[in-house]
Order: sequence, then structure tokens, then C-alpha cells
Amino acid sequence: MSPAALLAVFLGFALTAYALFAGADFGAGILDLLAARRAEDRAVIESGIGPLWEANHVWLIFAITILLSAFPTAFSALGTALLAPLAIALLAIVARGAAFGLRSGLDDQTGPRVHLSRLFGAASAIAPLAFGLVAGGLAQASSSRSVARGPVSVPWTSPFAIIVGLLAICLCAQLAATFMANRLAATGRRELAGRFRARALQAGAGSLVFSVGGLLVADTAAPRLYARLTDAALPLVVLALAGLALSLLAVAGRRYALARAATLLAGAALVWGWFIAQSPHLVGPLLTIHTASATGPALTAIAISCGVVLVCVIPAMFLLFSMFARPSQR
Amino acid sequence: MLMTNISIAAVSHLTTGRAQIGTSLSFHLFFAVLGVGLPLMMLVAEGMHLRTGDPVWRALARRWSKVFGVLFAVGAVSGTIISFELGLLWPRFMAYAGGIIGLPFSLEGAAFFLEAIFVGIYLYGWDRLSPRVHWLSGIPSAFSAAASAFFIVTANAWMNVPRGFQIIDGRVTHVDPLAAMFNPAWATETSHMVLGAYLATAFGVASVYAVGMLRGRRNAYHRKAIALGLSMAAILAPLQMGVGDLLGRTVAAHQPATLAAIEGLDHTEAGAGLNLGGFPFPGDSGTVLNVKVPHLLSLLAYDRPDATVRGFDTFAKADRTPLAAPARLAFIGMVGSARAWLRSASSIGCGVARPGRAPRIAEPSWPSPRQDRWRFSPTSSDGWSASSGASRGSSTACSGPRAGSPPRPGSAPRSRRSRWSTWG
Repeated sequence: MSPAALLAVFLGFALTAYALFAGADFGAGILDLLAARRAEDRAVIESGIGPLWEANHVWLIFAITILLSAFPTAFSALGTALLAPLAIALLAIVARGAAFGLRSGLDDQTGPRVHLSRLFGAASAIAPLAFGLVAGGLAQASSSRSVARGPVSVPWTSPFAIIVGLLAICLCAQLAATFMANRLAATGRRELAGRFRARALQAGAGSLVFSVGGLLVADTAAPRLYARLTDAALPLVVLALAGLALSLLAVAGRRYALARAATLLAGAALVWGWFIAQSPHLVGPLLTIHTASATGPALTAIAISCGVVLVCVIPAMFLLFSMFARPSQR
Repeated sequence: MLMTNISIAAVSHLTTGRAQIGTSLSFHLFFAVLGVGLPLMMLVAEGMHLRTGDPVWRALARRWSKVFGVLFAVGAVSGTIISFELGLLWPRFMAYAGGIIGLPFSLEGAAFFLEAIFVGIYLYGWDRLSPRVHWLSGIPSAFSAAASAFFIVTANAWMNVPRGFQIIDGRVTHVDPLAAMFNPAWATETSHMVLGAYLATAFGVASVYAVGMLRGRRNAYHRKAIALGLSMAAILAPLQMGVGDLLGRTVAAHQPATLAAIEGLDHTEAGAGLNLGGFPFPGDSGTVLNVKVPHLLSLLAYDRPDATVRGFDTFAKADRTPLAAPARLAFIGMVGSARAWLRSASSIGCGVARPGRAPRIAEPSWPSPRQDRWRFSPTSSDGWSASSGASRGSSTACSGPRAGSPPRPGSAPRSRRSRWSTWG
């Protein structure tokens, strides 16, 4: 495997990890927004997020650094073509982080805390929407036939991109709801788990509708992309749809651990399906993994550092998760 | 007319981009610096608690970890903005530089990743882990914080002294990522930054508690915090002075235009004097309030009092920054504030740390280590439960920490405690 391809795999891995872990975090914020009147729900959500959320969001930095160091011209093109949605995502991440950090010291039900919570929830919904728009736009641009030189144009407001954005929101909410329902059921709080079960059903239905809808829209509005989705990425697309369906059934049958696993699988399949459907293109039809890559020595250095990162970080993440898998008994 | 409009538009876009990234960097740096220094201070405080059993230290460590959680969160998101903004604001620069200097960015991401994980364990593990394991879990986060500062500053060092590549026919070739990362400025810039972060945090924490003291909350809690901060500062500040001198020499050797700008030297001089003061006059090239020490700049920069230092005006316009005046002001601010810190650290720090002497900032009625009640009362190691502390009741009630663990029952104060009691 060439260094560029290996780094593309690392990039895909980082993006998948970000989508799944930070997606659960964003989803927790979305659920927090939806559970506005139920303090108990929100307390449970907050205790679940607390220790993990920093570590979850670092995957984004990891993905960006791979992109900027190994595929610098693609990073540059991303910055020009997708300035608006990325800036929106960025502002949402900032607002979310600041609101979460600042509200943790305030008492519940006071004015500032309510406003900060709403900000936190809204920002948690906007960020996945913006990233979904980016993903959908990139997928569509990658299959474009235009070979015009000059700045790449990415259709991030197309119907396909919008559906992918909405799918991202639903998937995040579904990830969070299945996580929370599983955690609550495991500690015996069935009634609370039942409320998150309802949310998981709603989010799961939304995910399924938007994924099927996305395929249908691609068929009519982005036929070349549809061809890629049903050709190279078909196994992953099928896996994603099966995972979403299984998750819905599992939640309906109160099998929360199965639902959580199925949602994770579906999320990973969606991200990899997207990645494969547009590979080897990164941004637009001309910038591929090979044409946008840095020089050989740079790629080797980045590949080695990525390997070191994964070797150090993955065991540490396991440690973190295992420590906080169960809520504190004290 | 059109050409003028285009050039105005180009200048204002550049200035806007610079302003935005400058603001983001300043904002991030404030939190990042505390994110480097606070883990070390928390570890020292918690280590002191493990060693002496004094609950004040644990209370301090717990309080700081709570504050640190918020600061870390804001610092993390502001750092994410910067990595985004590099691509959004400077796409052409990143297209060219990303392949050269990307390695330290990845390593910084790795260090930050580890730090985030262990910060999560440390902040939320107070009640889940045994005290010793909890303390040990803080060590990777302190180490990773310093490491991520180290890596990211090597990238800045490259921006100052670019190495490790060649440009042939407009294309970047012969990229050597390690040579780029370990450019001539790496050692001095990174050590200056890391020491600066520790110093800023130490002084910052000490000043917060000093304000508390001025408001009448004079108890062991505040004194220990100030003592810790100023002790750290007293050790690190002389080191920072030395590193600063070395960094100045690096700038003199590799960035003569920058040297001229920050030292306010307009014209080339042999035996150049050091400008103390010399605030740039707005709108003109004059300066106000300057005292020039002859030969000192040449001596500091090149080790010879008669060395020639190039003046700012002698560089081609393209090599001269249009921001020379703000750079000079920032440099004056740094040197001036460093001098003020050193003075305050040495005077107060000597008073606090000298054994057997009551600190000047302390209340005169605090018991000295020689008094009997320190040796025989089981609670004597805890300064504020001694009677004199209680007599200033308001201070302990409202500003003392939330209940730390009481002294272990039946433990007689060991002789080691009386030595540390000068701190409390």
C-alpha cells in the first residue's frame, strides 16, 4: 500500500471515530435540547458526557492534521470551497464547548444556565448539520465530470447535501439515545430508559428515512454519485441500511446493547461508504489521494507519527471508557 | 481608480485575516498557557497532600482541577478553531507549508489527545481512584500538556527560521520533515514558551489568592497557594531569563530584521545601544521616553560590544514587516512585565519561603513553628484549625475550601510536619 493510501485509511479511521464518538456527544446535546423540561433526563445526559467529551472531539483535530500534513492541497481546497459551512461548524463547536464548560458551574433553572443549555443544544444540532452538508457536497463534487482548472466548487447546498446533513443530525441523536438507554437499563433505571427509547425510535426512523431518501435523491439529482454508491460502495450502503433497521427493531424490542452496537455499525458503514464512494477523490474531481499528497518523506513521517498516535491513544481511550462505563457508585 | 480599489481591498483582506487569526491565537494562548501550567501545580499540591496529609493541599488541588476543567474545555475548542482557520484563512500558505511542517501538528494532536484522555481520568476520578493512583494519573496530562506546547512551537519556530525544503522552479522539493521541525530556533523557542507558560500560571494563581488575601481572607489556604505559585516562579524565572537571552541570540543570528524591529533600531549602528523604553510615536517614526544604554544591544546580541547591528531601514521593503510598531510595543511589554514579576517574586518569595520566619504578608498572630501547640495537637498541621485562625472566623467560613478530609485520627504530627508548617 502506498504511503498516500495508508494515510487515506488513517484519515478515514479518524473521521469514522469522530463521527461515532463525537456524534454521540452532539446527539447528547440534541437530546438535551429536546428534553428541555425534564431535569432528570438532562442530569443523566450531563453525567454521561462529562469525562469523555474532550477526548471524543480530539479525533477531529487528528483528522485535520492528517489532512493538512499529508494532503495539503486538498486541505487548502477545502478551505476555499467550503469556507461557509466549515466556518458555521466551527462556530457551533466553539459555542458548544464554551456553553458546556461555563454552565457546569451554575445551578439548574437559573436564567443563565437555561440560556447556556439552549445554546449548547442548538450548537450540538448545527455542527452535525454543517458537517453533513460538507460531506454531501464533497461526495457530489467528487463525481463531477468537470475538469476545469481553478478553484473547486462544491455544491454544499444541493438537495443531496441537505439530506445528508439531516441524516447526520438523526444519526447523532440515535447514537446518543441508544447509548443512554443502554446505560440506564444496565443500571436498572427502566422508566428513564424508556424515555430515551422513545427518542431512539424517533431518531432511528429519521435516519432510515433520510438514508433511503438520500439514495433516491442521488439517483435523480446526482446520477454519477448514485452509480458509485451502488457499485464500489454497495456492500457498505447495504450494511448501513441493515444496521439502521436492526437498531430500530432492537430498540423497539428493548434490546439496548444490540441497538447500540447496530447503530455504531451503521454509522461506521455510512462514513466508510461515503469515503469509498468518492475515493480516490478528496475534494472535487481533480484532487485525489495521489495528486493532492505531500512529498514522500513528509508522508512517511506523518504515517509513522499516526501509527505512534494510534498505539498510544487507543489503549488510553479504552482505559478512559472502562473507567467511566459505569456511573459512579458513590 | 480600479487599481486603487483593488489594492485597498487586498490590503484590508490581509489585515482582516491577520486580525482574525491573531485574535484566535491570543484567545487560545491565554487558555493553553494555563492548560500547561495548572496540571503541574495541581500535581504539586496533591503531592504535598499525599506527603503531609494536610487537607489544605488537597482542597487546593481539587479547586484547581475544577477550574482547570472549564479552562481546558475552552482551550480545546479554541485550539480546534485555529487548526480550521489555518485552512480557511491561509489556504495557499497551507498548500505550500502543510507538507513541510505538518509533522509537529500531528505530534501536537497526539500529545493533546493523550492529555485530553488523562485529564478526563484525573478530573472525574477524584472519587473513583485511590489517592496515589489518582495523583499518578495526573502525571501524563502534565507531561502531555508540555509536550503539545513543545510541538506546536516547533511549527512556529519553522515559520521564523524556515528550513528543511527547497523551492526549485516554484515547486517545493527536497522536503525533510525532521530538519524542518528541528530548525535552528527550535530549542530556544520551545523552552521559552514552556517556561513562560509555567511562569504565567504560577504568577496568575498567586495573584488570584493575593487578591483574596487583600480582601481579608488570610488563612492557610491562601498562603499555601501563594507560596506554591511564587516558589515555582522563583525557581523558573531566572531560568527564563537565561533562555530569553539565548532566544534573543537566535533572533539576532537568523532574523536580523525582526531584531531591528523589536529593539526599535532604525539605523545600522556599530556598538548599538539598547533602547529601554522608546515607545513608538503614533503616525511618525519618532519614539518617546527612551533611555539608551550604549553598547548593550551589540553585547547581548553578538557578544561583542562593538558588533554591528543592522537597522530596520536597511532591509528591503518586502522584508520589513508593516507591523514594526506593534511588535516593538509588545516586546517592551514583555520585558517590562518580566522585570516587574521578577522583582515581586523575589521580594515576596524570599519572605514566604525562608524557614522559621513568619512571612511579611502573614498576620502577626499566626503561630510560629516553635510554639508547643504545633507539636502536640493532632490538628496542628492544619493551619486554619489552630485557634488564631479560628479567631478570624469569617475567613475560614466563607473562603475555606469545601470539606477536605479531616486529619487521620490518631496520627501524631511527625517532625516532618513542623518543617512544612512554615507554609501554613
